[in-house]
Amino acid sequence: MTDRVILLVEDNENDEVLTLRALKKSNIVNRVVVARDGAEALDYVFARGTYANRPPGDVPQVILLDLKLPKVDGLEVLRAIRADERTRLLPVVVLTSSVEEQDLIKSYGLGANSYVRKPVDFNQFVEAVRQLGLYWLVINQPVP
Amino acid sequence: MRLVSGAVSAFAEATSDYQRLLTIVARSAAEVIGDICTVVLLDDAGDLYTRAMFTTDPSIEALLTSLVDVPIRAAEPSIAWNVMASGQAAFVPKLDLEAVRGRMAPRNYELFRAVGVHSLIVAPMRVRGTALGVVAMWRHLPGRDAYDDLDLELTQDLANHAALAISNARLVEALRHSEQVKSAEQAAVRANQFLDAIVEHIPDMVFVKDANRLAFTRFNRAGELLLGVPRAALIGKTDYDLFPADEAAFFQAKDRETLSAKQLVEIAEEPIQTQQGKRWLHTKKVPILDDDGTPVYLLGISHDITARKLADEELRAAKEQAEQASKELETFSYSVAHDLRAPLRGIDGFSQALLDDYGDRLDEVGLDYLARVRKLAQHMAELIDDLLALSRVTRAELARERVELSALARAAAARLQRLEPDRQIDLVIEPGLMVDADSRLLSIALDNLLGNAWKFTSKVAAARIELGTEVTASGRAFFIRDNGAGFDIQYVHKLFGVFQRLHSATEFPGTGIGLATVARIIHRHRGRVWAEGAPGQGATFYFTLGDPETA
Repeated sequence: MTDRVILLVEDNENDEVLTLRALKKSNIVNRVVVARDGAEALDYVFARGTYANRPPGDVPQVILLDLKLPKVDGLEVLRAIRADERTRLLPVVVLTSSVEEQDLIKSYGLGANSYVRKPVDFNQFVEAVRQLGLYWLVINQPVP
Repeated sequence: MRLVSGAVSAFAEATSDYQRLLTIVARSAAEVIGDICTVVLLDDAGDLYTRAMFTTDPSIEALLTSLVDVPIRAAEPSIAWNVMASGQAAFVPKLDLEAVRGRMAPRNYELFRAVGVHSLIVAPMRVRGTALGVVAMWRHLPGRDAYDDLDLELTQDLANHAALAISNARLVEALRHSEQVKSAEQAAVRANQFLDAIVEHIPDMVFVKDANRLAFTRFNRAGELLLGVPRAALIGKTDYDLFPADEAAFFQAKDRETLSAKQLVEIAEEPIQTQQGKRWLHTKKVPILDDDGTPVYLLGISHDITARKLADEELRAAKEQAEQASKELETFSYSVAHDLRAPLRGIDGFSQALLDDYGDRLDEVGLDYLARVRKLAQHMAELIDDLLALSRVTRAELARERVELSALARAAAARLQRLEPDRQIDLVIEPGLMVDADSRLLSIALDNLLGNAWKFTSKVAAARIELGTEVTASGRAFFIRDNGAGFDIQYVHKLFGVFQRLHSATEFPGTGIGLATVARIIHRHRGRVWAEGAPGQGATFYFTLGDPETA
């Protein structure tokens, strides 16, 4: 289980540190790959560009995807992942600040598996991340 | 002579009745001079007609009647035409019918023979040198003398008087006719003037164009005022003389359409260049057809809608501006939601990290400071969330539906109870309150109102919250009453303002946005919201929802 990669797509460095800390505090020890914009995320997912040589087995077990991203935004990343046969079934959890109903509807409409709003209270954030990790890394049976 | 005078005076009276006059002439002559008299008149077409006949002998009356209204052509030989031409009476005391046969119409020859005419006078009827016809006297009765000079004189005298009377009668007739024509003309003029006055005073521009050239033939006052051009400068002109070419082309295209379709064409909005600048017209064009259904004129009526059009345009501009503003607000709200929260998350998260990892190196004051930093960050997050909720309430479309207020209130109370499961509150909600309202917005309002009641009764031993209806000056109103901390009525005007708080944060936490949100929701429903209360005696919030039942 622990060998599977988590892809965190996050442009905010502070949020990245906090998310990694929250994962650690939740006892999630999977390797975390961080992509800092949508284009980099897609490069990793489809093993191209700077990630052309990544091991084929490093397919993420879950993608934690922010919506507001430079270059290619989160919804576009999600659309590209769902449009490709190879990644159609990858679990994608939208992890964002936005509570806009439109973002929620669009995310689920494009096939997001979960939509989680990052709480300001760090302890609540840790709890949310812990539950996410528990579900997507432990309970959920990945597609073979 | 006396008898003739009597007949003549009868003529004067008879002038009003032309046919009767002729009959009197014939009868007078037949009775006075004997035996038969016919009056022959020239008609407008130049033929002679026997217009009246009288005989004292009833046995030949039917025979003579066949003469009446049969034309005697100028081309035929006839004594009457000879008399007409010469102006001299024909006097044949002893008529040798065979001797004059060649000078008579064959028909008359037969008639003369059948009747047995033996003496004849045909006198011309002349007035001022013009021959009107002839008076013919026939004698046929056996034993009667031939006509003598006196008879001739009498006949000519009678013919002269008759001619004068006929001439007068014709003059009178002509005069009467011309008066009738004149009065008909006057009536037509009056009717026209009346129509003119109506058209002239219609407050919309009325114009008429001829169907061929489409030149203006008529214009009313409103038209002159609208175009700023006197009528004299418009009549006879076409649109091309008066307006820019593209406008003129448009007007005439619509004219042609009206004339060829032979029905009303309506132009809801057409711009027109006038002396006072551009105006907008709502025009109706109607073809005016002759009896055969051919269009001869085009009638146009134009209502000046410039004021309305400008108002519409202003409204549209304002609406566009409002939509633009609303879009900007949406973008702004999104940024607020996303970008302002991110640093707060950092402040809270790293404070917590500091507490977790370095807490043992801080004294109690240091730990307290960090706790305060976290609390402030979280409070600011709440403020942002509440502001966002307020802006969403403003932006949301109002979707009214039939909804049970009581059920929405129970659901809101249940949410509050879940947050504080230990609170014991005596909650009384009047059942079955139906309203026409946006249920989502109403839920938010109830969350805030009941949330306030919940919060401000937190320090009361036996908390009681009541939702019901009351008849007020604003009609039926809903109220939410609590027996909590209450408020000082002199600050009631501050209650519904954004960021306005009547209690300190240490006393009762809050952002000061909740009641502003409530007020906005109620106002969006075109309802009223107000409050009553006193410190320590609880508060009552009233509201109406602007629907027929509560208004």
